[in-house]
Amino acid sequence: MSSLVFKKKKFKLKPKKLIDVVFTYIGLIIVSAIFILPVLWIVISSFNPTGIHTPEGFLPTTWTINNFRILFTETSHFNYPRWLLNTLIVSSLSCVIGTLLVILTAYTMSRFKFRSRKKLMAMTLLLGIFPSFLAMSAIFFIMMEFGLGSIWGLILIYSAGAPLGYLVQKGFFDTIPNSIDEAARIDGATSLGVFIKIILPLSAPILVFTAITSFAWPWSDFILPRVILQESRDMWTVAVGLNAMSSDHPDRFIAGSVLIAVPIIILYFALSKFLISGLSSGATKG
Amino acid sequence: MNYLKTKTLAFGNFFTTANYKVILSMFIMGFGQLIYKQVVKGLIFFAIQAGLIVFFVFRGAADIAGFFTLGTAAGNPAQGIHGDNSILMLTMGLFAIILLMMYLFAYVTNIKDVYLTQLRVEKGSPPLKFKEEAKEYIDKKFYKTILFLPILFVSVFSIIPIVFMILLAFTNFTGDTFPALADWTGFASFRELFGQGGLAPIFFRVLLWNIIWAIITTAINYFGGLGLALLYNKKCVKGKVIWRLFPMLAFAVPGFITLIAFRFLFSDAGPILWPINQERLLDPYSYPISFLGIDATWSARIIGILVAAWLSIPSSMLLATGILSNMNKELYEAAKIDGATGFRQFTKITLPFVIFATTPVIIMQFIGNFNNFGIFFFLRHGTFSMIGDVPYSDTDLLVNWIFRLTVDARRYDLGAAVSLLMFIATSAIALFIYLRSPAYRKEDTFR
Amino acid sequence: MQSQNQNIQKRLPLKIILVIFLVLVHLGTLIGIIAVIGANSHTILGPGREIFTGELERGARIRILENDTAILQGFLDEVIEAFNAEFASYDIMAVDANQDNFIDLEQAGPFGFGPCVIFQANDRLMRFADGGHIFPLPIERLDAYEYISNEAWNAFFGFVDEIIVDDNGYPVIGEDGQPLRQEIPATLGVPVMIQGPVIYYRRSLVPEGTLDTWGNIYQFNRERNAMGGATRGYIRSLIDPYFNMGYLFSFGGYIFGENNTDPSTVGLSQNNAYRGVGVIRQLASSMDSRVTTHELTPLLYDLLAQGTVAATMTTPDVYTLFIDAFMRNGFTREEAIAELGVAPMPFLPECGDLTNPNPNLIPTIMMGGVNGYAISAWTDYPNAAFAFVNFATSFRLMERRHELLGIVPSREDVAEHVGGMSQIINEKLASGEILVMPGIREMAQVWNPVQSFFASVSQDAFRSFPRYANPSGQLAALVTLDSAITRAIAAIS
Repeated sequence: MSSLVFKKKKFKLKPKKLIDVVFTYIGLIIVSAIFILPVLWIVISSFNPTGIHTPEGFLPTTWTINNFRILFTETSHFNYPRWLLNTLIVSSLSCVIGTLLVILTAYTMSRFKFRSRKKLMAMTLLLGIFPSFLAMSAIFFIMMEFGLGSIWGLILIYSAGAPLGYLVQKGFFDTIPNSIDEAARIDGATSLGVFIKIILPLSAPILVFTAITSFAWPWSDFILPRVILQESRDMWTVAVGLNAMSSDHPDRFIAGSVLIAVPIIILYFALSKFLISGLSSGATKG
Repeated sequence: MNYLKTKTLAFGNFFTTANYKVILSMFIMGFGQLIYKQVVKGLIFFAIQAGLIVFFVFRGAADIAGFFTLGTAAGNPAQGIHGDNSILMLTMGLFAIILLMMYLFAYVTNIKDVYLTQLRVEKGSPPLKFKEEAKEYIDKKFYKTILFLPILFVSVFSIIPIVFMILLAFTNFTGDTFPALADWTGFASFRELFGQGGLAPIFFRVLLWNIIWAIITTAINYFGGLGLALLYNKKCVKGKVIWRLFPMLAFAVPGFITLIAFRFLFSDAGPILWPINQERLLDPYSYPISFLGIDATWSARIIGILVAAWLSIPSSMLLATGILSNMNKELYEAAKIDGATGFRQFTKITLPFVIFATTPVIIMQFIGNFNNFGIFFFLRHGTFSMIGDVPYSDTDLLVNWIFRLTVDARRYDLGAAVSLLMFIATSAIALFIYLRSPAYRKEDTFR
Repeated sequence: MQSQNQNIQKRLPLKIILVIFLVLVHLGTLIGIIAVIGANSHTILGPGREIFTGELERGARIRILENDTAILQGFLDEVIEAFNAEFASYDIMAVDANQDNFIDLEQAGPFGFGPCVIFQANDRLMRFADGGHIFPLPIERLDAYEYISNEAWNAFFGFVDEIIVDDNGYPVIGEDGQPLRQEIPATLGVPVMIQGPVIYYRRSLVPEGTLDTWGNIYQFNRERNAMGGATRGYIRSLIDPYFNMGYLFSFGGYIFGENNTDPSTVGLSQNNAYRGVGVIRQLASSMDSRVTTHELTPLLYDLLAQGTVAATMTTPDVYTLFIDAFMRNGFTREEAIAELGVAPMPFLPECGDLTNPNPNLIPTIMMGGVNGYAISAWTDYPNAAFAFVNFATSFRLMERRHELLGIVPSREDVAEHVGGMSQIINEKLASGEILVMPGIREMAQVWNPVQSFFASVSQDAFRSFPRYANPSGQLAALVTLDSAITRAIAAIS
């Protein structure tokens, strides 16, 4: 019976489907080109001794790998390898801690009905939209007074700020049916148990999103670390260092920028297969 | 009215029925618990009280006093005479006040706790042992355990800076202050803002562009991301991981770097315009084209919109992909059988689902785009004109304009005052939308 | 049951009183602590001390914050090595502060992170003086004192707000409970290098005499443009307020009255300054629309090295960057040094018209600056720091700085010894052709209006409907500029 239906479908939709596929791939190629071309240009420029500043046209007049070499060899003044290490530590730890905190917060706010919940939801929305370009002073003083002017202070701030964005993850959790929770409870699990054994595996897509975005942020934030990491240039993160190099050293600047993308892309590849699991892989049947 | 009545009744009830153990706990925290033989809990509460008193004696009291005075003695470091640092006192005083408020919360919890134990005992069951209570915190009261740390963190690292900024608006703190002293000046900053004539018409011009910008960019970014996610989700797409890689590459290079690159790319000296203009220069009747120059209002704005889209659509796509993974595929099958076209399926099934799951995100993204300082700061840094004595750039958003007016001139008090006003306006709109949305009201729509 | 209720009823008022009493005691203790400690917690201003006693602090570790080029070219290492060797007997060591050169001393200093000695441009350093973050210095004690011109010293001269202290160093408290203060004159930095614009050019591409006057340069540009393609003569970005204000100064304009000390009058439109606007516009028309952006500037090193561009203008301290660019583009170091010429400012036509074939010539006055050392008020070792500054401004080290970095030394004896552009710049500083940027607070309000003005002027050469093509338009624009600056100062300060 099913094979008969299958044959029928194939027959009917072939010409329409072909056009659809063709347009889909054209669209994919256009989109990919739009995103890749500027990045490609930046990568090409990293082999240019004057960085992105090409006197004529898009391609460098001379090609060199010197930019990359001096990033790693001339480190007395601009200690790029050290910056990479610092940023790796900060982003990994803030990613792990921050993701943990925000997922727990979001799940709790999604599932538990307690008294001040709605008020908390409204308040966190408000806190998130304050224009905060003056907040740096307050954070600076708090950090300095408690001796947290180091990458540990930075990790603390990133992790501590993560739960504030829980409304994003909560939206995801709100679309997981209650029936799943109830089924688990009937089997005798505690709240914690339900979360760890049932919900968490289903939340892979939103976990991936949270992990990638919270990992990527410290690599591009150049304002906060600059305020916190006053002690020495060696303790900077990559974003601060690149920003300091951007005007006077365009060669190192662009080469350093290209290398930042690498860890984030690696993380993306590592997590990408979890991106499209979730409910659609059939957790609830019937 | 009813609410007040029930509250007062409950309060009155509490007064009449509370026993001496509860009353003692109002004096020394944890005392009642100790009498009920809840040793661990009692000691914890007592430690909180003792700890706060110690903190206040050594630090907190001075901080709070400093908060109100904002320093009384101005020094001169160049003579080795160190005086008060007003802003430091403001910050640490705020910190002590928040601690005090958290303590009061603990105090009330302490009393409630003893009272509940008293009621339990009166009903006949023995007071809870620590182990039993702890178990509750993993199950029924799980939310309290989980939310404790996040609320603590948010209070210190988000609430304090925001309250700090709000309070700055009521002082006269400028870049020239330290180590002189700042003072509380009440509403003087606000009066100064409104008193400066000539600002109003420019403010509305900037506001108009800001609103148009926010609407367009939020729409493009949101639907662009959603569209991309749907495109990549299509069954006929092979190698999804690779196709998704391209926007991820755009996402992986930090924003300020691509902005600097785009600025050069579109500048008069960049690889696009320089060849074009070389030709035009030879012709005496044609004038060079500029994308981001001082006269190029609309091309700069459009470039800003396009670049902003390029920067935000990848993460938008990532989120949409995650949300879509929870969709019930069977709904699509049913719709197809009923004869619905692709577009109808999109508007009736996909869209409501995604919007429900991301309503707060849409609001936050709108506000974020509204306050997107970075894009025009980098793209058109330094390109502005003067209207009267007010610097103005036709691509400036309110945050850029305000930054130039206040922080650039090191008038942090004015900057704080304007931020506060902007916050009040945007939050009113945000709350208005959010509180009416199904994401807030009918959270069970898809459950 | 009933009796219990009755009992409770009877004791109710007592209970309420007890409850309120205990809660008040609990909270009252806290508030009491706050009040008592708070009232007694005002800061007592400690005794001041004489800072520069001359006694070197033993065991001092002084942190030096130099500029990037000095560090990258190894100059700072040389100075530190020599200094440490000389002062080893006192157990004094200098180290690289390893911090961002644009550090905010006001924030970093109080928490102990700041450097002890900081090298910066005079206007940035003088900003730190506003608030007592750098020390007034006993400059007469410096070996270099008599060799540095008055004009250079003036760049670091200002009035500081001092607390009046009694014989024991304690502040004298006035009637309002606040310490008495007075304004005293002080010099807060030591000049090390003079910044003034110079013309860099290709000797083989620029004929003799071209760089003598701006009119010749204008002509030369037109000839080079006619060669087609991207070939240009003299070119540089024309939206820089720093370089452009000079054209206004040369024709009689000035920023602040009373020799840049009185911010109540702004005189950029005065005398014949409008002619400077015309000059800029004419120059722009002989270049191309890239001069309306900042993006041209990083390209110039290579454009000059490749011969696409024949001349440009910038400061002396980027000499090494030009040499690097030459070596990237096929020159050896010797060839580069031979080919790269450095020339002083050309003369302007008094009438303001670059096309005039035989004009009366006037010198070009340009804005310049002085970079030097200051000592942070937050250092624990002021005397050791002063010894370092004295050491680093010695004849030998200043000459070495010039050798390595190509800068113009502030010591006139070194400038004479080295000759060339260094001597010329020093002379120009003395004669007033290089005008040091005023260090007063109101300068901060000047940049925005001036920058937007010059952006519009340089764009004007490429507009289909020009606004500044004739004297009346130019003058009107300058008058608007003056009033914009005045109102900005009045509004924000």
